[in-house]
Amino acid sequence: MNQLRHVGKSVKRKDGPDKVTGRAVYCQDVRLPGMLTGRILRSPHPHAKIVSIDLSKAKALDGVKGVITIEDSKGIKHGFVETPRYPPDQEVLARDRVVHVGEEIAAVAAIDDITAQAALELIDIEYEILPPVFNPHKAMQEGSPEIHPSHPKVAEKESFSNIGGKTESGWGDVEQGFAEADYVREDRYESHLRTHGYLEPQVTVAHWESDKLNVWTSSMGAFNKRAKLAKVLDLPYSSVRVHKAYVGGAFGGKIDLYSHEFCAARLSMLTGRPVRFVASREEIFSAYRHGQPLVVELKTGVKKDGTLVAQELRIINNAGAYRGSGVVVVFLAWGFTMAPYRVPNLKYEGYSVYTNHTTRAPQRGHGCPQVRFAIESQLDTIAEEIGIDPIEIRLRNARVPDEELPNKDNVHQAGLQECIKIAAKKTNLVAKYGRDRKSPPQDTSIRRGVGIGISSYMSGTLIYPNGSGVIVKMNDDGSAIVLTGAIDLGQGAETVITQIIAEELSLDMDDIKIIASDTDTTPQDIGAWISGLTYVTGNAARQAATNARAKLLIVAAEQMNVTADDLYLDNKEIISQSNPDNRLSYREVIAASVANHRGDTVIGEGFWRTMRDEPNHPSLATTKGRWTENYAFSAQTAEVEVDIETGEARLAKALTVHDCGFPINPGLVKGQIDGQVSMALGHAFMEEVMTKDGYTLNTSWLDYRMPTIHNMAESEDADVITEQYEVGQSYRTKEVGEGLVSGILAAIANAIYDATGVRLYSTPFSPEKILKGLRELERHQK
Amino acid sequence: MILYDFEYERPGSLKEATALLNETGGDAQLLAGGTDLMPNMRVEVVTPSLLVSVSGIEPAAPEKCADGSIRIDSLTKLSDLVDAELIQNELPMLAEAAHTVASNQVRVMGTLGGNLCQETRCLYYNQKHDYQFVEPCYKRGGDCCYPFPGNDRDVCWAVYMSDIAPVLIALDAKLEILGPDGTREIAMADLYTGDGMNPFTLGTAEIIQAIFVPPVPERFGWGYHKTTVRGGLDFGTAIIVIVLQLAEDGETCCWAKIVYSAVGQGPLRPTTTELSMEDAVLDPALIAVAASQEISPLPHHGFNKGFLRENIRVYTERTLVSAIECAQGKI
Amino acid sequence: MNQINDRTTVNGKKSRSRVLEMSINGEAHEITVKPRVMLLEAIREKIGLTGTKDGCESGTCGACTVLVDGQPTLSCITLAVECEGKNIRTVEDLADGENLNYLQEAFLDQGGTQCGFCTPGMLMSATALLEKNPKPTRDDINKALEGNLCRCTGYNSIVDSILQVSDQGVKPRLL
Repeated sequence: MNQLRHVGKSVKRKDGPDKVTGRAVYCQDVRLPGMLTGRILRSPHPHAKIVSIDLSKAKALDGVKGVITIEDSKGIKHGFVETPRYPPDQEVLARDRVVHVGEEIAAVAAIDDITAQAALELIDIEYEILPPVFNPHKAMQEGSPEIHPSHPKVAEKESFSNIGGKTESGWGDVEQGFAEADYVREDRYESHLRTHGYLEPQVTVAHWESDKLNVWTSSMGAFNKRAKLAKVLDLPYSSVRVHKAYVGGAFGGKIDLYSHEFCAARLSMLTGRPVRFVASREEIFSAYRHGQPLVVELKTGVKKDGTLVAQELRIINNAGAYRGSGVVVVFLAWGFTMAPYRVPNLKYEGYSVYTNHTTRAPQRGHGCPQVRFAIESQLDTIAEEIGIDPIEIRLRNARVPDEELPNKDNVHQAGLQECIKIAAKKTNLVAKYGRDRKSPPQDTSIRRGVGIGISSYMSGTLIYPNGSGVIVKMNDDGSAIVLTGAIDLGQGAETVITQIIAEELSLDMDDIKIIASDTDTTPQDIGAWISGLTYVTGNAARQAATNARAKLLIVAAEQMNVTADDLYLDNKEIISQSNPDNRLSYREVIAASVANHRGDTVIGEGFWRTMRDEPNHPSLATTKGRWTENYAFSAQTAEVEVDIETGEARLAKALTVHDCGFPINPGLVKGQIDGQVSMALGHAFMEEVMTKDGYTLNTSWLDYRMPTIHNMAESEDADVITEQYEVGQSYRTKEVGEGLVSGILAAIANAIYDATGVRLYSTPFSPEKILKGLRELERHQK
Repeated sequence: MILYDFEYERPGSLKEATALLNETGGDAQLLAGGTDLMPNMRVEVVTPSLLVSVSGIEPAAPEKCADGSIRIDSLTKLSDLVDAELIQNELPMLAEAAHTVASNQVRVMGTLGGNLCQETRCLYYNQKHDYQFVEPCYKRGGDCCYPFPGNDRDVCWAVYMSDIAPVLIALDAKLEILGPDGTREIAMADLYTGDGMNPFTLGTAEIIQAIFVPPVPERFGWGYHKTTVRGGLDFGTAIIVIVLQLAEDGETCCWAKIVYSAVGQGPLRPTTTELSMEDAVLDPALIAVAASQEISPLPHHGFNKGFLRENIRVYTERTLVSAIECAQGKI
Repeated sequence: MNQINDRTTVNGKKSRSRVLEMSINGEAHEITVKPRVMLLEAIREKIGLTGTKDGCESGTCGACTVLVDGQPTLSCITLAVECEGKNIRTVEDLADGENLNYLQEAFLDQGGTQCGFCTPGMLMSATALLEKNPKPTRDDINKALEGNLCRCTGYNSIVDSILQVSDQGVKPRLL
């Protein structure tokens, strides 16, 4: 009976009709009567003391209903990470000092946007300028301006300044490993500052009404937002309700607490009116959080046959002015290094360094593209030096099924070897590799190249709120209402959950309506920001359906005078296998349940938490502890074209071969892949947040160049299915929504090398860098 | 969303428009599409107190005059310029250039006159200055240059980025300018001061009314190239226009013009190189080197001078090759 | 340059509001606006149609695209007063009640919408294209949609949606 009807099918989006008709309500579309407009006063300096703030003129302006500073808060700090080692380090508004351009100092609520803007201009602030520092290497030097004191545990061992956090890990003996290696290489790779590019700006509407705060806010997880807001406002969770709204993209940029969310809430509490904040695109570019540029210093030793024997990494993260997710990315960079290849001896150090840049957020891939770019680039260089091909060196080191990782995680049915083989075959990589370098075409300046990159990604881990619950309420006609805290950012969470419930309860997709992402009416949920929603919330949904099904079967068995194991569910009927004429509709069973089970209307509950035996997330400082129970694997190839006269390069074709376990909805998986390929080619060729002295130069999409429709590459994909879905049993699905920005970036770098012989050590791969590399090659040849 | 109040008028004729501009003085601005002006008003780098809109005036379709030149109404939408059969047939370079402008929506909204009179641009200048680069730069009436703090010469190095202006310069277009005292005619090239602070020679109440493009001679060839990062939506990294006439032998160049845009305070021409092309059989590679060395591209929008010069060299060569082939009737 | 001393007045006087008549999705509307009000704001705040999205306010993302007399227009940088007497069409005009039109169906069939924020603008740009050119080539599609950014889909599925609806050999990908 394991013929799947919904799961594993490319079902259309549940939310599709709302989105193509304009009916979908985003935070931007929320309107409340009497709503005030909020605006924020921001620091014009990257580093300064606030000597005084005078609000009197702003408060006196007609139409201004409220003005707040840090004095209007309870002084409770928050942080992306809040652990004993990394306590919260950020105030909701600046207190005494600003540490980056655009830092929030005061906020106003007024009757309209013009009045709010006028009020901001009436706030007088006296600053005392402090010396800033922007380069992480300079910030680490003794005597550099101190943004925040170094973490005590780092400071006691090392003299570096401005260290927000450090991850140290390793195993084996790297010295001995390098001594035993036949070939050792050291390189330095740098990545650059990019932003998420969510189309919908950050919007928050807050309304304090009858001792309750109602909030609509751009988010990636309503429960995370509730926890942070309640904390800084010093309110019980029951007094804060984060409502559902559609989210116009996030990509990592809408998690954690933002100052404007506090300001909206506080100003609503002070004025008694709804308050709305909308960040302008310029604010998002110049004051909000971007991704994380990493420097990766990488030393690798291999045997003659390409077997990795030792690897040493030192990673420096230019982490911006507060801790943000800076300390997380230096932990994650370790994880993305550790997972795909066997390295018997490894030493890893990652520093998260405070600078006077804006605070950093997670960004799709969260450290993975940066380290995969480094490792995969260097691996190709090594392979060439020792005379083996890029596929052979990867197959020699790639994880095989059932391997235990150094952190005691298990890769289970890892499909990496197969991914690499399929990618190589479909691209015909070994045959194509080196073609244009060996015999450059004479009649054109275009060179073609092919490259491969691989990656592995975690699929959910233990971060607050750690687990998800789902409730299935059967209606007495047999249809169902599903309550889930899951948030649909466009990835298709509501569709996938509906497919699972439909499968488990043998319902049609249209029989199910979802109520999602509302902290008061839906169960807690891990959120859509740790790559575990389909696995964790999906299993909770399956469990909830199983629970409801069990109740239906008990009642049906009583009514039909058979045992429950003789029964099966089909199209809203419960049928006896031994006598298929003996059947009851759900409507009849539910009526019987209400009649005979003291009104039980059949409500199923399900819960799921990844790594049930682990108490916590692994240590960010030491990496000790288990990280995830499902590793996704992928191999991606890129085919590029480079004009060697102009340096202009483009991705012509991308292939993604991935092991996501089992695709609940292959069509949605494909959507994720295409989006990641597009984002990665933006990373590779065109996007960069340019800054000077902490100011952002390109504050619009004209000058921050996200890919347009002209830049799309042909994107092909293939599934390596390593897991099964069976009704009534827990399943393993693996991440597919963010890790795939990584291998393809590395593949592009390797393909550019293949086309031109130019090895690039930093992103983006601009025409300027490619030309410079070509000129250097010419000089060497002469 | 523009966060300050202004007045708006929509006269029925350009004459009324110029009168309104004249009455209000420097505080008024013509609204002719608005795809450049509205974003600039939004970030408050320009803050007119009155907008005089031309949207109530229907532009005349492009037409051929008795002397063979083509008259184009300055209020012609860029998309109409792209689609106009007369332009496609007689001035294909103009249609192609107009087709590279920004995006479809901008071409639908923007006018030819507006495109020619677009403000110069700079990553630092085109900002909201409420907390970024607060101190006004030269162009904002202040006393510094954000990108080049060493620039103490009161000059603005913002660049002029029209995709179409270099084409009209290369084609020897004339502009009919309407002012409070009637009309005057100037050569297209004379629209520009070459000064990023005040890029245009127009008086405060003057409006470009029409553009006249003379007919091209026999054995005329053209090439157009706009380098962009994304192939669309972008302003140009560098824009290259080359026109030339070949002698009857199909080899010797009688004269040639090379015009660059997006790399200077106004359109740039390598006039010495152009002279060297007169009555000569051209070696595109050598000319490209000479032309790219002769001009001094301004670094802009993240592109440095060396890179721009190299880009200009390569594409000057390629554009010249295609202009020659065009004149030879090969393309 | 005009110095903004008081944001709410022009040279000490309130600016003149205008009463505009315009047709929005076939319905006649009359609204009163200050000159500074953008068409986007008028549609979303005055008329109350929030399907049209506000992504950048500077004409660079295309999420606010509506049709003005059939032409795809960036409503975030178009003054409402400029649209006096015009016919405006927004995303809300595409479906006939509960029945989606073929283009909307094609977006669902191809996975052309994910987060959905670019979708209203994409649909309006695509509508304008198809009304002008019922069988657009890939190049035509690229030129028509180059002003509409999408961060989720990588565009392939959007191009396929348009190829599907224009009957150019692309079959639905989702069930």
